[in-house]
Amino acid sequence: MRQYLTQVAAIVWKDLATELKTRELFSAMFVFSVLVILIFIFSINLSIVKATEVGPGVLWVAFLFAGTLGLNRSFMLEKENGCLQGLILTPADRTTIYFGKFISNLTFLLIMEAFILPLFMVFFNVDILPHLGPLLVVILLGTVGFCALGTLLSSLASNLKTREVMLPILLYPLMVPVIIGSVRMTGQVLEGVALSSMMNWVGLTLCFDVIFIGVSIMTIDHILEE
Amino acid sequence: MTDATQPADSQVAIEVQKLHKSFGVQTALRGITFSLRKGEFLTIFGPNGAGKTTLLKILAGLARPTRGTARVAGYDVLEGDPAMKREIGVIAHASCLYADLSAVENLIFYAKMYGLEQPEEQAVRAIEKVGLKARMHDRVRTFSRGMQQRVSIARAVLHNPSVLFLDEPFTGLDPQGANNLKQTLRELHTEKRTVLMTTHDIACGLELSDKVAVQSKGRFVLYEDAKNLEKHRFEDLYFEVLSDRLPENSVPGGPGR
Repeated sequence: MRQYLTQVAAIVWKDLATELKTRELFSAMFVFSVLVILIFIFSINLSIVKATEVGPGVLWVAFLFAGTLGLNRSFMLEKENGCLQGLILTPADRTTIYFGKFISNLTFLLIMEAFILPLFMVFFNVDILPHLGPLLVVILLGTVGFCALGTLLSSLASNLKTREVMLPILLYPLMVPVIIGSVRMTGQVLEGVALSSMMNWVGLTLCFDVIFIGVSIMTIDHILEE
Repeated sequence: MTDATQPADSQVAIEVQKLHKSFGVQTALRGITFSLRKGEFLTIFGPNGAGKTTLLKILAGLARPTRGTARVAGYDVLEGDPAMKREIGVIAHASCLYADLSAVENLIFYAKMYGLEQPEEQAVRAIEKVGLKARMHDRVRTFSRGMQQRVSIARAVLHNPSVLFLDEPFTGLDPQGANNLKQTLRELHTEKRTVLMTTHDIACGLELSDKVAVQSKGRFVLYEDAKNLEKHRFEDLYFEVLSDRLPENSVPGGPGR
């Protein structure tokens, strides 16, 4: 078990070290999500619609689009110079590759979200600080689901010529339950509703998170097979 | 008591029986059979598309054969035993190195993935062996093809494998780079390591090997001891294969089919 965790940690360390040196991924994700928020803020009249009604949708669109950029890059890094082959040649279980990439993607997206939240607060004039705890739980639940399925599909799409197109086509329809749950929960949290009174949504999102991770563990071996 | 996963002859490092591989209607391997004893160096020559890389991929556990069996270091390649992966090192067409990490960071990463003790020390030792200590903190992206190849060799032998697969390692190297690589391979072979290499470089292949094979259209058309071969006779045969003048079912020599 210790060796398994060391191998997962090695993959995460390798991805973080690469990103720290290149700063390609994070800057692209951040600029993209800021642009999404800016476009929406100029197209929505906040004196007519409530920010807590449209804001959650905008926020999750920004997270998803930026996250898709990250997922696309995730396995492309492994394809460069045949690194994925190098990983498969090691005695490490293939689920370590999945979990390593999943944790890397999750870390990048969570960091990006931490930078986007204050901007969202300013642009939409929503005070998220009183609801920060429940909001972080909701964001974590949605982001885990997105990264769990996204990492699996990213490994699948990395073998295709049209990987940039295929990933969103495969990912977004399957993400619908998690996204709906996350948007609804975010809206209610911003309205001041307690997390305990929306346990049906929490349960639904959590269930999908578990299902996505479970399916990934069961299928990653076959997906990574040549 | 004998381990069930070990071959009957424990001196055999690689044992291949009637190996077939098809990709849809395309047949890459047509019943290849050969065996290699521990410490032997086999070079496989053959034109592009002969199935050399496919054979290496199957032996390294990266692809599954359609039919037939193969055992490497005593392990059935079909079983995908992690213990087999500890016994093999692969130098493929691609370097398998992360371009934005330094040479030593790449090796530390792979040392961790192989579960080696003291990965930092092992990585530095491996990079010293291939003569790149002065550049070990530089990004791989800044390395020449020859230097990347040396780091790739360090990666492949980091865990001290008993069997080494090399897929056209001389491709893209200048004469000096090829000479350095030849020297490194000679050192690796003297450590009593079994080596299976594919190449188009006849001189290097004949010089380094104990055995040579020529593969064409998915089968061995020659398999002989290197010392029994006259260079001219070998070259004639090889160029016949390259020019596709050899009959499809020709098996001019040796036990390989």
